[in-house]
Parts: sequence; structure tokens; C-alpha cells
Amino acid sequence: MLESTNQRITSVGIDIGTTTTQLVISQLTIENTASGTLVPRVEITDKEVIHRSQIYFTPLLDRDLINAAAVSQIVESEYQAAGLTPEMIDTGAVIITGETAKKENAKAIIDALAGFAGDFVVATAGANLEAIYAGKGSGAAQYSAQRHQVTVNIDVGGGTSNYAVFHEGKAVDSSCINVGGHLIEFDRQGDRITYISEPAKIALESTGQRLQAGERVTLPQLRPIVKAMAECVVDVLKTSTHVGLTKELLMTPPLQLAQSIRKVMISGGVADYVYALNGPTTMAEVTAFGDFGPLLGWELRVSLEKAGFVLEKPNETVRATVIGTGTQSVNLSGSTIHLQENTLPLRNVMVISPFISTIPETPQKIAEVVKTQMLRLQVDHSEGVVAIAMRGPRTMSFADISILAQGLLLGLEDYLSTDKPLIIVIEADCGKVLGQCISASANRSLEMVCIDQLEVENCDYIDIGKPLMGGRVVPVVLKTLVFNR
Amino acid sequence: MAVANNELEKVIIQSVMEELAKKGLLSQKGKDHVMSAAMMDTPIVPNTESKEMVTFPPQEEMQISNPFNADAVKAMKKLTPARIGIGRAGTRPKTMSLLRFLADHAVAQDAVFLDVSEEFLQRMNLMSVQSAAASKDEFLQRPDLGRRLSVEAVKTVSEKCEKNVQVQILIVDGLSSSAIEANIPDLLPALMQGLKSSGIKVGAPFFVKNGRVWIQDHVASIVNSDLIISLIGERPGLGTAESLSAYMIYRPNENTVEADRTVISNIHKGGIPPAEAGAHLTDVIKQILAAKASGVKLNQQK
Amino acid sequence: MILKAKVYNKIFAFQSFKEVMAKANEEKSGDELVGIAAKSASERVAAKLVLSNLTLEDIYNNPVIPYEEDEVTRAIYDGLNLRIYQEIKSWTVGYLREYVLDHKTTGEDLAHISRGLTSEMIAATAKLMSTMDLVCGSKKMRVQSHCNTTLGVPGTLAFRCQPNHPTDSIEGMMASLKEGLAYGSGDAVIGINPVEDNVETVTRLLETVKNFMIKWEIPTQNCVLAHVTTQMKALEKGAPVDLVFQSIAGTQKANDAFGVSAAILDEAFALAQHKGSATGPNLMYFETGQGSEVSLDAHLGVDMMTLEARTYGYARGYRPFMTNNVSGFIGPETIYSGREVIRADLEDLFMGKLHGLPMGIAPCYTNHMKADQNDQEMGTLLCAMAGSNFFMGVPGGDDVMLSYQDTSYHDDASTREILGLRPLPEFEKWLEKMGILENGKLTERAGDPSIFDK
Repeated sequence: MLESTNQRITSVGIDIGTTTTQLVISQLTIENTASGTLVPRVEITDKEVIHRSQIYFTPLLDRDLINAAAVSQIVESEYQAAGLTPEMIDTGAVIITGETAKKENAKAIIDALAGFAGDFVVATAGANLEAIYAGKGSGAAQYSAQRHQVTVNIDVGGGTSNYAVFHEGKAVDSSCINVGGHLIEFDRQGDRITYISEPAKIALESTGQRLQAGERVTLPQLRPIVKAMAECVVDVLKTSTHVGLTKELLMTPPLQLAQSIRKVMISGGVADYVYALNGPTTMAEVTAFGDFGPLLGWELRVSLEKAGFVLEKPNETVRATVIGTGTQSVNLSGSTIHLQENTLPLRNVMVISPFISTIPETPQKIAEVVKTQMLRLQVDHSEGVVAIAMRGPRTMSFADISILAQGLLLGLEDYLSTDKPLIIVIEADCGKVLGQCISASANRSLEMVCIDQLEVENCDYIDIGKPLMGGRVVPVVLKTLVFNR
Repeated sequence: MAVANNELEKVIIQSVMEELAKKGLLSQKGKDHVMSAAMMDTPIVPNTESKEMVTFPPQEEMQISNPFNADAVKAMKKLTPARIGIGRAGTRPKTMSLLRFLADHAVAQDAVFLDVSEEFLQRMNLMSVQSAAASKDEFLQRPDLGRRLSVEAVKTVSEKCEKNVQVQILIVDGLSSSAIEANIPDLLPALMQGLKSSGIKVGAPFFVKNGRVWIQDHVASIVNSDLIISLIGERPGLGTAESLSAYMIYRPNENTVEADRTVISNIHKGGIPPAEAGAHLTDVIKQILAAKASGVKLNQQK
Repeated sequence: MILKAKVYNKIFAFQSFKEVMAKANEEKSGDELVGIAAKSASERVAAKLVLSNLTLEDIYNNPVIPYEEDEVTRAIYDGLNLRIYQEIKSWTVGYLREYVLDHKTTGEDLAHISRGLTSEMIAATAKLMSTMDLVCGSKKMRVQSHCNTTLGVPGTLAFRCQPNHPTDSIEGMMASLKEGLAYGSGDAVIGINPVEDNVETVTRLLETVKNFMIKWEIPTQNCVLAHVTTQMKALEKGAPVDLVFQSIAGTQKANDAFGVSAAILDEAFALAQHKGSATGPNLMYFETGQGSEVSLDAHLGVDMMTLEARTYGYARGYRPFMTNNVSGFIGPETIYSGREVIRADLEDLFMGKLHGLPMGIAPCYTNHMKADQNDQEMGTLLCAMAGSNFFMGVPGGDDVMLSYQDTSYHDDASTREILGLRPLPEFEKWLEKMGILENGKLTERAGDPSIFDK
């Protein structure tokens, strides 16, 4: 029963973007912060980045295919540089972002990495989550909490711009638009176009320009297109109803803008040009990296300022997403939970939230809802392990918790007959007693993980790590797998 | 209905006023005064059937007029349960702040000075005995009396309680009867279920009125249980009057000191919820029974 | 030494000076609990009558706890100015009361004889005084002290801003601190009671507040009210400690229970002088309260009020910057009602001042006492009229960490405005600069914690 007061875990974050690939390794300190006579409360109390990789160009086999083997070599060499072996990594996430995320071969990367990027490193992505990680990594989330001002972070990468709006440190809104610095490619420091992506073609069309790959272009010719794209990025901050180019380039629903925004932070590869003293004056400056990132950055700044937004400097620009991923992807469960199993860690556990609004009143009705949902998703006979997620029992009374326990057991009869572990994720602080009730109601011993104080509503899959702090808590990574979208 | 009546009322008053004014029996000022009173939607006869009532605005409501940064004040209010961002009338609190303070103090005082109801004890099927303190006043001023059972209680406990069990549960009002009524209905069944599932032999829980923590030593000396746990009302703060603590001790004797007790505090719906606390206490009790020690001695074994 | 008195047709005989001292007290539940209180109203008056006739020499010869047995007694006797004592030793307690109240007697005179008075003499005098007597006597005495700023300046009333938080959250504490400053509270000290008594927490809180003081140029002092030994460790590690705090009591046994001794306090004071962040020379902050010895079962049969006086006798050797009395905090077994608290507060204020201490009062109450907000406000106004140097300042009057009620930020501002008192001079300038105070009154802008969030 040895309970240490704190424990350190090593977390890796890997960001494979349209243009660049990066990795950070951080050390998280978890501690029981509850004093003396209080029930323990284990929290992450410190996050320290102990290794930052170089910024690599994402290795591609061709335009559509990421070189998974090369990516894994990058990871391997960075581990070596940090003096770590895969076994020393406790948790983390790979995030495949931007244009790359669309590509069908994402799964290959994940498979290639999962083997050696630590026992517990898995793929996480999705435009919303990516945006939020970037905003946490850039410092926008913290800024909103410290200054008590709604702050938006726009992570402008090679292919996309990801918005996350923060209010008092919490992400309240997110969106993604298909604007990035790498959408048109050039000869380095030259003026010849080598490639025009689909979204760039749409932008060209809407501005009435007719550029083709192979053509040479002047700065006055290029500027209106880039300006149009920059204005699209700013449009999303101004209104939630869109027409024209902005509408066409939006990849997700637009920002809701429930609270008006004044403070803006830009992160991502283009960010440094937003905060530069001067804009590029020649094509050679624009295409220093074979794209138009420097020009997009400058035009974005001009458009933002013209529209009256106040630009704040981020703590991190190009590394924001990877730092956010490395330090923010791990959540801890509540500190009173019910664990009765030996199979942790569990990877890629599908999350099912059967209860749309309130929990029904009787065990029978609860069971019905659960059964219907399991059937609809054809879970019972598939291979996968699922987690049943919910906000809480009808009330926090022991009676309602018992009813919920009985209902869940009844509803999961078929699923449990295949000897799969029972996994419950509940937001309300009642994981331990719910687990106890399920145990007491079951007529046999169950393999069970019943954890609480986690919001998993909007995610598809979770990873549950090995218990920490003498079994008090488990680390959980929430994820949205790109290849299912 | 009410609206129609009001309208009618206004029309009648207005015509009467106008008639009086015409006859010079009412000045223009007087007329205006009466009319403005009539225009207010205050019913003349209070409607006792109405479900409308006066309540406090939500606690998180920011009460400062024209703050420099309203978001900051709202955020600060979330960071602490302290009464901040409450504004002022001159140098004094606003009316609602004053009344809320009085209400919170009233609830706290009621928790201390009122007894756990007979109806509650019956509903929970709890036997009730009393400490040597005969009244709340005596209980508060004579801590020594709250630490031992009355003569009659000694007899009742000796006769009715099962002896030599592993765990004896006491429910003690302590400084908050409200904490007992608010938490025991969910805590006790969760704890009983947990102990039963673990195969632990438990004596029937009972209630002690006007008791303090140390009364568990006296009870343990009679029932001879391995472990005795008191679920006792904490001294109320203005934030909550419903907080409960659990004090556990392994085989207390005359040399027992405060540090020999294992304590879990802050059990209430805003702290650790009572049902979850019941499940957690089961684990703690198992640890104590396994280690045959509680308090500091238990921690040293960990 | 006459220990017998006749009140009309009843004769009362007492066995000892200690018994007389206990029975001369106004009613308090702690004296009842210990079983030393007067059994009747007449017996109480008889004890006062006996007391009034005792000389200071009688008292000198009969310390309530022997010199050999108790460090507190030794501190009191060893610190006494024997020359002054010799001059006044033939005075009776009744005469001393009249001397205190006499128009011709000034605060200076009282400061002078103070050095020749033992704590029992001071307690005995206070036992013969009514509420208004205590206010009149206290008001004469003004004790100034200096840490970073000067406390006790005539015409001022200062406050300790007490931004406690139930889990020591830095952000939560800061929120309450900003609110307090926005009401003009915090010139005596910014003093936080931590939940966790460890060096890390104490250092974190001290550094946060100190940085805030520096950033906003706030002229005040900084203190975290952990155990003295924890603060000493923090000091050793370089934490910015302006004032070293400790709770103390009137018997060696009670101080043992608090984990303090003269040796520890000496070391703490020396450490504050060598490694503390304040100007000084006054670097200590003590808290005391009637009844702490009773609740620790360390009273040795002496009444609460006398023990409280002895606590002041113990404190004065350390030349504290501030001494705060929290009699209302101890609990109903020692002080049961609002009436008992108000009486204790006035006694303590008077006794502390006559010991030459820079006294402040926390006219507070807990929820298991028969006291309420009205009692507290009456106590506050009376103590302010009696010239308390400072009070506490707690958001909305509700301390969410210690679970008791004390003077609110609103009460702080109100008391100043009612009695025409000002903040400490440097702090008043700062409040004016911040636009919180104008001509001694709160401005429109006051009471808004977000003025610090630019």
C-alpha cells in the first residue's frame, strides 16, 4: 500500500503536419494536492519540456504519401538525442495535422510509430483538438485566464488555419479553414510556381487570377490572392455566417462567436512573419522556403489590424501544436475510482455515450437504452473494447447510483458474456461507488474499470494507461482518430 | 386575470381622480401621486395562493456596478468561495449580500443548535442514545460531557449492541445535525454495502445525540469492536453547514491520543459526495483492519 | 493581604489571590468549565472588593504560577523595571484603576508605569473596570511600532488584509487580496493563514504577495501565519518574510502545546533581524486569545483573563510590530456569547495596551457560539473607539478557510469613515494614487478588484 506523494511521468508529443514534423518530450509531475484529512486529489502539478526536436520537413514519398518509415526514423533519432528509450515513455500522443490528416495513409504512420514510440503512444488528431492543442501550446489559453479576456489562437500552418477560442483558460469554440502558407509551391527563392493545391485553385478562381503550375509570378500578381486568403481567415473572427470564398474554404462549421473577440494570437509556421517588423518586398523573400508563408503572415497581420483586432505575441509559434500535444494530451481520472482488472493499459477504446439527456428511472429502461445503442453500433459481436460514458446518475443519491449500476449490468449482458472488461467513464464524482454497486449487483467477478471526473463526450476513442500513484488514478488520452472521419 | 383586474382598477381610479380634480377637490400633484401609485403592479390584497417567492440571486452573480473588467471579477469569483465581487452601498454591503450572510449564518446556527429529527432516526432505523451532555448549551460549554455516554446510554449500548464485531459504526451529531440528515442516507448504505461485499462483520449502526469525537472510545470499550468509526457533523462554516467527517480508530484505550485516529473530512455534496465517500471509507477501513492500526501508526506502516 | 469581604450582609472568604482573580471576572464559560468562576453575583462583587484593596506588592509576591515552574512567569518578572515597581508598589489596585482614568494621567504616564507592572497587576486592574472604563483607559494609550511602515499613528486605523483560501490556491488568494486592497484594507499587513503548514506553501504565498507589493508599490508588510518553525525554515531558504508570526499563550504548558518556547522565539526574532525582508525594528506578529490555555487543558487553575494578561507579558519582550487578539475564535466552551466576546475584546485591548503592546482586535465569532453579526459590529465599534491599532479584513466577513466570521472589508472602510480615522499615512497616499480613496472616503472606483487587471 505504499503511496508516494508524487510521481513523474514522461510524455511524448509528435506533430506530423503538412509541412513540418516535430517532437517534444516532457515530464509531468503528478501529485496528491489534497491536504491532511481530505480525500486524495491527484493532479498534474508541473509540466516541463525536457526535449525539443529539430523542425523537420515532413518526409513525403510523393505529394500524397507520407514516408512512414522516414517519420519513424526521425522519432528514433530524437529519442536517442534525448537519451530515452521507448520503454521510458509513459504516455503521449501523435497528432497528424492539417492537409496530411486528410491523406489516407495516416494509419500507416500510426502503425509504424505505435510499435516503438513507447508502449503507450497513439494517434490523436482532428481539426478541433489540434486547434486546442495549438492554443494551449502557444499560451493563448493561459493568457485568457490570466488577463480575463477572450482570446483566439489561430495556428496557421502549411495547409490549414485552426482556430481555438479560449475563455478563462477553457476552449469554448473551434474551427478550421483551408488556408495555409504551403498551398502554392515555388522554386525556392524563385518566382516559378511548381504546384497549386485545390484550395489555392478555388482562391485563384474567386480572385479572377489564372495562374498555372510552371508559370512565373510577380509579387503584385501574387499579393491579391494571398490577401484574399488572409481576409478569409479574418472573416471567421468577424461573423458566423459566411459566403463566397470563406464559405468554400471552411473545413468545419465556422466559429459561433458567442463572445466577441478582440485578442488574437497566431501560432504555427507562418506566425513568425505575422510578428515580423516588415513584410516581404521581393519574390525571393516570399519564397524563401518554397511557399508563400512569409507573405501570408504579413497579409494576415495587415488584415487583422485593419479589422481592429489586437495581436498578442504567443510563447511558442511554430512549436505550439507539438508542445500542446506533448504536455496537454494526458488527462487524469478522478482520485476515487474502481479498478478491478489486470489488462491496463488499454488502447483505442471506443467511447459510447448511450444517454442523450437524462438517465432513465428504472434499471430496465436504462438497460433498454444501452442495448439499443450497442446494437446500433454493432458492438456486441465486434472485437473492440468499448467504454460506456455518461455525465452522471439521475441524482447523486445511493439509490440512483444503484439503479444505474443494475441498469448498466443488464444492458451489457451480451457484451459481458464475451468476457470483455466493463469500462465505465462517468463525469460525476461517483466512480468508486458505482463500481462497488456494479460489483455487488453482479453475480460473478467482473473485470472492471470504473473511472470518473472525465469529460469524454466529444471524443471517439480513449486510451487508458497503467494506474499511477498506487492505483489511485489512471491517465487517459482522449482522441479522435482521423482515419475514421 | 390579474392583468385584467389591474387594468380595470386603473381605469376606475383614473375616472374618480378626474372627477375629483374637476371639482377642485384634488390638486394636479395629488392626482399624479395617486395615479403613479395605481400604475404600479402591486396588488392591493396579497395573493397567498401564488407560487411566486423571493429568493437570493445566484451566488456567482457579479454585484459590482461598472467594474473595470467584469470578466476578471467573474473569473475571480470562480477562483475562491470567498465573498468577493459583492459591491457596496456606501461603505456597507448591498442588501442581498447582507441578507445572504444572515441566511448562511442562520443555517449554520440551526445546524448546531437544532437536534437531528426523530422522524429521520426512525426512517433510517437507527437506535438513538445520548451523551452525558443533557442539552445543546451544556454540550457546547462542557466538551468533557460530550465525550462519554450517559448512564442510561451505557446500559442501552451494553444490552442492545452486538459485541466483538469487526466494525462498529456510530452516527454522531457533533456540531451539525444538518450534516447528519444531509449525508447519512447516501453514505451509510454505500458504506454498509462496501463492508458487506468485503465480508467484514459490522454491528448495527446507531445514533449518539450531543456527542463529540472521543465518545467513540467509550462506545468501543463497551462493544469491544476492532474498529470504531464515527460519522460526525463538522463545525459549520458559512459556506456549508452540511459537512461531515469520519473518524476511525483501531482498538482505542486510555492511552489513545488524537493522532491515533484516521480522519476523512469534507464529506458533503460540494466536497466528496456522501455515496462516493462511503465507497472510499470501505477501502480505508480495510487498510486499518489489515494493518491493525489507525492514524499516524497506520501512515507509518504504509 | 486581606482575602475576606463583606457585601452587605454576606461575608465571602477566599483561599488565595488566584481564587480572587478568577472570581472577580465577569461571566465567561471557560471559567465556568474549569470550575473557578464566582458562584453568585454577590461573590463576584466580593472578589472585586477584595481585589481593589490589594496592593501591587501583594500581587508581586503572589504570581498565579510560580516563577520557578513557568517560563512565562519568568519572562514577566525578568522583564520588569524594579525601580518603577518600587515607586508604585504600595498602590492598591483600586487606586491604580483611578490613576489610569484620571484626567491628569497621560498616555506617557501609563507607558512609564507599564514597565513596573506585572501582568497580574494589569489583569487585576481591568477586572475592576466596566466597559466604558476600559474604553476610556485604552483610548489614552497609543503604541506605535515600525516594520516597513508605522502602525499606531494617531488618527489612523489600519487593517490586516486576510485573503485566506481553503486550498491555498494562489489565484484564489490573489482574488481576495485585490478585493481587500480595493476597499483600503491591508495597511497593517497582508497576512495569510495557510492550510498546508510547509515551507513550499509558505514560500509560494510569501513570494506571490511580495511580488505583488513590489509591482504595485504597496507600502505594507508581508506575513504567512504558519508555525514559527516553518517560517524560520522559509527564512533560511530566502523567502521574503517581513513579519514572523506565532500564536502564544499564558502558560509554559500551553506554549509547549503550541510548539513554542522562549528559545524558539528568540531564535526566530534573531533570524528575522538577520534574514528578513523588512526594515524593522519591530518584526514579530503575535496572536493571542482568552481561553486557548483552557482548550489545551493547560490553564493550571488560573482564570482566562489573567492568563491572557500573562501572554502579553510574555510577548512584550519581543517588541512585536503587532499583537492581535482573537478571543472570539477559541470556541463556546471558553467564550459562549456575543456579550462575553465583546467584554473579552475590551479587556484584552486594555490589558495589551497597558503592557505597551501595539494591539489589534479581531472581534470575531464562530458558528457554534451564541453570537452574531450585530455583536461583532458592536465589538468592532467599541474597540475602534478604544483606539485599537488595527482590525482584520476578511471578504464579506466570512473566512472560508478558518470557518469563522471577522471584520469585513466593508466594516474596515465603515469604521474609518464613522470615526473619521485614516489609513496609515504611506498607505493612504497609495490608495489615493490608485484612485481608491479621496479625502478619507472611498471613491466610486473603490471595491472593484479588477482595477488590478489591466
